[in-house]
Amino acid sequence: MKKSKLVLMLLFSIVLFSCEKDIDIDLAEVDRKLVVEGSIEPGQPPFVILSRTEGYFDPVDINSLQNAFIHDATVFVSNGTNNIQLTEICTDQLPDSLLPTIAELIGVSLTSLKSFGFCLYTTLDPLMFGEVGKTYSLNIQAEGEVLTSITTIPTPVPMDLYWYKDQPGFTDYGYMWFKLNDPPTLGTAYRIYTQRKGVDSRFIPAGGGSVFDDNFFNGLNFEAFIWRGHEVNSTAEEDNGETAEYFQQGDTIIIKFCTIDQPHFQFWESFEIAAFNNGNPFAAPATIKTNIEGGLGVWGGYGVTYDTLIAVD
Amino acid sequence: MNALKNILFFLFLSIFVFQVSAQNKYTVSGYVKDKSNGESSIGATVYIKELLKGTTSNAYGFYSITLEEGEYTLVISYIGFKNIEQKINLNKDIRLNYAIEPDVITTEEFTITGEREDKNTNEAVMSTVELDVEKVKALPALFGEVDILKTIQLLPGVQSAGEGNSGFYVRGGGPDQNLILLDGATIYNASHLAGFFSVFNSDAIKDVKLIKGGMPAEYGGRLSSVLDITMKDGNFKKYEAEGGLGVISSRVTVQGPIKKDTASFIASYRRFYLGDIVQPFISDSSKFKGTNYYFYDFNAKLNYIVSEKDRLYLSGYFGRDVFSFKNTKDGFGMDTPWGNTIVSLRWNHLFNDKLFLNTSVIYTEYQFEVGLEQDQFEFRLFSGITDWNAKLDFNYLPSILHNVKFGANYIFHKFVPSNATARSGEVDFNTGDIIKNYANEFALYLSDDWDINEKLKVHVGARYSMFQHIGPFKRYNNNEFGSPVDTIVYDNGETVKFYHGIEPRITARYSLRNNASVKASFTQNYQYIHMASFASVSLPTDVWVPSSDKVKPQFSTQYAAGYFKNFKDNKFETSVEVYYKTMKNQIEYKDGALPEDNAGNNVDNSFTFGEGWSYGTELFLKKRYGKFNGWIGYTLSWTNKQFEELNDGNVFPAKYDRRHDASVVFLYDISKRLTLGATWVYATGSALTLPEARYTIEGQIVSDYGDRNSFRMDAYHRMDLSLTLKGKEEKRFKSNWIFSIYNVYNRKNPYFIYFATEGDIYSGTLDIQAKQVSLFGILPSIAWNFKF
Repeated sequence: MKKSKLVLMLLFSIVLFSCEKDIDIDLAEVDRKLVVEGSIEPGQPPFVILSRTEGYFDPVDINSLQNAFIHDATVFVSNGTNNIQLTEICTDQLPDSLLPTIAELIGVSLTSLKSFGFCLYTTLDPLMFGEVGKTYSLNIQAEGEVLTSITTIPTPVPMDLYWYKDQPGFTDYGYMWFKLNDPPTLGTAYRIYTQRKGVDSRFIPAGGGSVFDDNFFNGLNFEAFIWRGHEVNSTAEEDNGETAEYFQQGDTIIIKFCTIDQPHFQFWESFEIAAFNNGNPFAAPATIKTNIEGGLGVWGGYGVTYDTLIAVD
Repeated sequence: MNALKNILFFLFLSIFVFQVSAQNKYTVSGYVKDKSNGESSIGATVYIKELLKGTTSNAYGFYSITLEEGEYTLVISYIGFKNIEQKINLNKDIRLNYAIEPDVITTEEFTITGEREDKNTNEAVMSTVELDVEKVKALPALFGEVDILKTIQLLPGVQSAGEGNSGFYVRGGGPDQNLILLDGATIYNASHLAGFFSVFNSDAIKDVKLIKGGMPAEYGGRLSSVLDITMKDGNFKKYEAEGGLGVISSRVTVQGPIKKDTASFIASYRRFYLGDIVQPFISDSSKFKGTNYYFYDFNAKLNYIVSEKDRLYLSGYFGRDVFSFKNTKDGFGMDTPWGNTIVSLRWNHLFNDKLFLNTSVIYTEYQFEVGLEQDQFEFRLFSGITDWNAKLDFNYLPSILHNVKFGANYIFHKFVPSNATARSGEVDFNTGDIIKNYANEFALYLSDDWDINEKLKVHVGARYSMFQHIGPFKRYNNNEFGSPVDTIVYDNGETVKFYHGIEPRITARYSLRNNASVKASFTQNYQYIHMASFASVSLPTDVWVPSSDKVKPQFSTQYAAGYFKNFKDNKFETSVEVYYKTMKNQIEYKDGALPEDNAGNNVDNSFTFGEGWSYGTELFLKKRYGKFNGWIGYTLSWTNKQFEELNDGNVFPAKYDRRHDASVVFLYDISKRLTLGATWVYATGSALTLPEARYTIEGQIVSDYGDRNSFRMDAYHRMDLSLTLKGKEEKRFKSNWIFSIYNVYNRKNPYFIYFATEGDIYSGTLDIQAKQVSLFGILPSIAWNFKF
């Protein structure tokens, strides 16, 4: 008891006891820029969500969100041989049975998707479904602005092996490990997601950074692990406790492991750093490296492989 | 450049003419030292009463005056010491060494003032401040830690790098543009604990001089300032121990004669122990067991008077910060040692009464290392810079009208910008080659302090500097994604790039009536080594890099002018200075550059280049002595930058652009034993870049940033108080208590701003709130110092 009192006194007199308060910041009116969130995977149609940035402190409600979407844009995707215009669909026009697929493809939780209508551009023309090795260019004309981008679906690199291991000090929790044999070409980049069967409603990007490239291990065969990712702003108990980064013994983990091209990788790498650094005073304002000419956001192709692991040590 | 050549030509000519015409001239020369401990006195005034002309002792206490034959009165004066007056009959060269006695008369009866009373208005020196280390000790200090770097921030033209930070900016220059010297050796990283404390232990320091403009030719290699710090020599008379116990650190210094009046030593140690104090209270079962932070500094100096003409100094500094972090549950461990090492050997030699030479051989090193491990993973990152430095500094005093300095300086630099090794189990990751850069830096200089006539005195000089970046070196030419496409290999000793240039340094003083003068200076400087920073503050991870085929030397031109006037028997000193400074080839990291881009790559591949300029005015009012003394400083300034690849090529304010910067510093002797100290500072809020818009991808909100440094935080202001209580005067043992209060009126100064996001955008409950974090509220501390 005495000891802790002494510590408290010491801390009181010396430790950096910082304090914080709410402040108001006046930002000037700014130009609202176009933002693209688009992806294409083998055997799937391309998806493009088109929106505009909002003032940093603008109030958020359903209306403002709906207003962020850009309607009636002309969106073309070309794979070199075909050039096809995407059509705009809003999720409230779709049957519920399709929603999980949509949630997956645009990377939001099913709950969010159900509570809130998304609008996106896509096509049901199988000629424009993704194919490994092909390059896809995007051309958007919206409200007098032109946006362009290019991405590829690289050949998937399969993972050698996945396994689960208890973390020292825990009996039922641990990371998911993998063994990867990186191909000899420098610049190969990856994105990894997991979905616990019966628990997660979609594939969630791995925690602490879902993308990596082979800058440090080009051509090597090596082992590493991933953290379990969370839904954005998850308030679930398991996502905020001591074991938040771990998988649990008994989890059935479906893994989506993708190969992506460098510009696509650079977007996610800088995006995840920016999201992580938000407010860190020692970090310079993180610039997100977009691959969209004329706007913000990403247009990315994924070379996908799927595996399943049952977490047993 | 022609004008410069002419000036140099006339300079030589004048010295020459003078020599030829000199008939029956004799020299009085010698050393000035402190009688009580034998320490040499730097900058003591030695003047001839009849002529009202004089000189000052140099960095080693040496003075020399050459005059026509005759009878004169020589006056030796130095702040805080009794004046010495002596009649001399100059009919041959004479050697007179003086031992000056500390002035024990209390300040109330301060009739004599030590330092030459009108030094401020009389010297052809501007934008230069010297600090009295003993006075600094009575000022309030954060956690009671006396810190000379924080004291110099209280001077006009010098800006603090932030709350509690010992980093400083001089007249719009970056932190890498300050040359910080300890006994002639460069200190590359002068801070502990990310800037909260400086590496200088005030007990070991004798003299501090800051030059923020009009840099004399003997200094070079940096654009903005020189902070020249001299360590104590060690007591020649008797053994002495002093030290202090503080809340977060303690220090001890011992000094004494090895051989009385011939050789002495001083050794000083300081240890920060906050982390150690809390160690016993971390329970064995805590997952953070083994986490600690501490730093220490060790200073030592030996000096030996070999003969009347030769003197040797050996000084060293060794300091380390050590941070270890353990999280046993996660199997995570981190170990981070960093710090400076310097060794400096100097030899003073007197060729004759007029020619003094100091030869220095210096080793200086800064190293940073971080080791991380988690389970089977290991990651190590190390960076650093090592210099081998040799200097010849001549001081030639041909007549009372000239003080000529010339010399040469050679530095061999070795840079290890940022190298990483990583492994997972048995597999070593390929983090690229271990990159080291090598360079030769060479300079020659010549300058003269020249009394042209009663009114006009000039310091005119020039420095010729050269820089050679040499192999072995590999230039990685990368594509836009940072992957190498080809490399150019330079062999051992092969020149990668050579730069050179002339740096003119001119300062003139013109005396007016009534103890006033106007001064003007023009200086140009090259800087061949650079430090860029990712973060908004300097961190120990910042790396130094040489000029290369990609990075051109930084180059500055500074014009300054000022009006200096003293009042009331020089009791009050005032000055107004204006300056305009341009800086070319400035460096920043490209937008979106990441620290990991540096592994296996040339750091300078991530740089982008532009220019900066700064202008402003500085007001200074100082009451030099009396029961109540201190100063008020105010700076009005603008600092801007322009980079083609940043901020869309538009001009933006530097992050340390401060429109207003003011400080009030005073000491008041309440009684013989009690002194009150107070400081108040005010600074315009820091410039920073804030998000102006947001967007959402995969449900994650991210920011789109506005113009660079277009937002201002709230102004910074703070008052500190201190009370020094001297113990009862005893013969052997002296002690004092220092009570200080930081941030007396508990101002919530902004340290950083962040944005808290709550709720979920898709349910329409999102709430973004800006929050301002303040670091130190009102903070009392206490320290006890002793000396015997």
